[in-house]
Amino acid sequence: MNYRPLTDLEVSTLKLQGCTANDWSDVAVKENFRTEFVKHTAFYGKVKLGCFGDKTEIGDGPVRRSGLYNTQVHQCEIGDEVLVSDTGLLSNYIIDDHVIILNTDSISVKGESAFGNGTEIEVLNEAGGRELVIFDRLSAQLAYLLVFYRHDPELTRRLKSLIQTAVSPERKAQGRIGAYTKIQHAGVLQNVVIGSHAVISGPQLMEDCSVISNRFAPVRIGEGVIIRKSVILSGSAITDNAFVEKCFVGQGVTIGRQFSAENSAFFANTEVALGEACSIFAGPYTVSHHKSTLLVAGMFSFYNAGSGTNISNHMYKLGPLHQGIVERGSKTGSSSYLLWPCRVGAYSVVVGKHFTNFDTCDFPFSYIVEEKGKSILYPAMNLFTVGTRRDSEKWPARDKRTDPVKHDLISFDWINPYIAGKISNGVRLLGGFTDKVLKTQEHVSFKGIQIPRLLLKTTRKFYELALKVYIGSEVVGKLESETAALSAGRIKMILAAKEGPGRGEWRDLSGMIAPAEAIDQLTMDIKKGDCGTVEQVLDRLQEIHRHYKEYSWNWCSAYFEAETGLKPDQFTRENLLQIVAEWQINAIRLNQMILQDASKEFDLTSHYGYGIDGDEGINALDFETVRGNYEENKFIKNLRAENENIGKRATRLVTLLQTMK
Amino acid sequence: MDKDEIKSRIKHVIGQVLEKEESDIADDANFVFDLGASSMQSLQLIAAFEEEFSIEMEQEKAMEVQTVAGAVDFVSTYLI
Repeated sequence: MNYRPLTDLEVSTLKLQGCTANDWSDVAVKENFRTEFVKHTAFYGKVKLGCFGDKTEIGDGPVRRSGLYNTQVHQCEIGDEVLVSDTGLLSNYIIDDHVIILNTDSISVKGESAFGNGTEIEVLNEAGGRELVIFDRLSAQLAYLLVFYRHDPELTRRLKSLIQTAVSPERKAQGRIGAYTKIQHAGVLQNVVIGSHAVISGPQLMEDCSVISNRFAPVRIGEGVIIRKSVILSGSAITDNAFVEKCFVGQGVTIGRQFSAENSAFFANTEVALGEACSIFAGPYTVSHHKSTLLVAGMFSFYNAGSGTNISNHMYKLGPLHQGIVERGSKTGSSSYLLWPCRVGAYSVVVGKHFTNFDTCDFPFSYIVEEKGKSILYPAMNLFTVGTRRDSEKWPARDKRTDPVKHDLISFDWINPYIAGKISNGVRLLGGFTDKVLKTQEHVSFKGIQIPRLLLKTTRKFYELALKVYIGSEVVGKLESETAALSAGRIKMILAAKEGPGRGEWRDLSGMIAPAEAIDQLTMDIKKGDCGTVEQVLDRLQEIHRHYKEYSWNWCSAYFEAETGLKPDQFTRENLLQIVAEWQINAIRLNQMILQDASKEFDLTSHYGYGIDGDEGINALDFETVRGNYEENKFIKNLRAENENIGKRATRLVTLLQTMK
Repeated sequence: MDKDEIKSRIKHVIGQVLEKEESDIADDANFVFDLGASSMQSLQLIAAFEEEFSIEMEQEKAMEVQTVAGAVDFVSTYLI
């Protein structure tokens, strides 16, 4: 870009317009620079100015001309059609074209800064030991490997080194504000870089931050917000007096309404408001919307914290050194309490206050209920609740990430090889308990929690039902993927497992479901140096994620082999007919159980509080007017339609299989 | 086994699972509205009936039973 010195006439004009400079020869301008749009501005150090004068819309206010007004500028390069007005200090910045900065105390870089990149935050364990290095390309999965695999110090050392290498070139003495970003009514912004199209309106303080905004997914920072030592990714919003210190804020994350967060990582589509987070690893879709909710030292994902959820990570002994895991899809009820260390299995509901330490990871879809001060586990009870089904349907629809580059890898299948593996463990454990339990026992104790003896058989059956639905649906999906006429040869080909990982254990890497074998291979390659940059690690994770369907079929294949002695490509027509028939029966049965649960939303107890001044008739009418009725409910209708569709799909496949050559 | 005996044993089971006095359990009492059974307790009741009478009931049909009298009738179908 070519700049020229100011002419004597331009300097005189600027002086007449109230401008000053330590040394006018340090001010360079573009060829078509016009002085009339620079007024009452003081220049310090070397400054480069673009061309100003275009009409600039600044929201609901008047249309103004771009330029510099009532502002101090120090060591800056200011692009074309930038509007800076009533700003105390703009120091050490490159301001890209069409940026608007209004009524702001100061925006400056002091010394060299990595703008929050490379900050170590103490997630999960408040007392340290699991520090997460945050930077602008961090994903939930990379963070997971860094935070949770401390059993492998060499891996940790390598990952930290890769990240530090990626971050260190970014230390700069000059910040940047990307094109079309608008900053207004802000307090102090120090050592902050901001991408394009961001809207920064009224924050009190931003210090040592990177705001990775772009035109596809602008970042929004709102009034009264304080942010320190943090990295904020595209499409996120931090608003309404939120306090954020030493945090990673992932894509599509919302932090608002006075929420207070420190030493925490929030990954894609997390939404938090009003409460407090301290040292948490909030995986994708972590939600906390209520006051008095304190999340501390835990890992969560697809999680919903009820109002007043509270967690303790120390008991006045060696300090806040305990941690907990709440696996994907779980909820904590209003005023629930968990005492770390503790691990809550996937898709579970926690009700009441729990003062014992337990691990229910082998019992997904459970209710964990406090009864007379004891923690009681009701396995599989959340399998057939409306909430579980609704949640699993709403997550993909609520992906707020509009950036074409998505950092976090998310598997949305509600039952997947990881969950199915846990269900298998649950079946095995419940079977073992049933064999050994005495009739005189009220409960069976397992890993700190009590399971009612009477429910051992029933809940085992529920788990078996879920497994049949999952496995059946995978087979049906495979058969339906065949567009040509089915033949024994084609079926053999479709159902054959491919080479590669997936047959064994699977893991949930904060939203991404992956075979343990693939992840272990990746960690080995990182340690050997075969995966030598952050980008290479991220690419490998992407590759594993891309093969999810293929690998998950490998799991199903291994499951069939273990259960029946047959690999899927050895199935006969009769085998397949039986699988389809069982899938049809069980899938419909599961949906029927969900429908039964949904009907409770319309029963007489649900009418309490309706029809305030009337009799039973008014009560029923008021309820129906506000809530609708069971038959017309959208969820009910959809589930019934799904049942019909299951029937049709099964019939079609049975016909195809029966006529197959 | 006659229905009176079935009813008596059913009330005994209900009393144990829901921690109620047997004498407080009316014949037409509704498990949810009158006896305050939660969904977890309802399942435990079914399991307890199965154990008491050494039978295996159809889960979904059993879940549809709402009253003590209904439970007596339903259990009877497996015994009489």
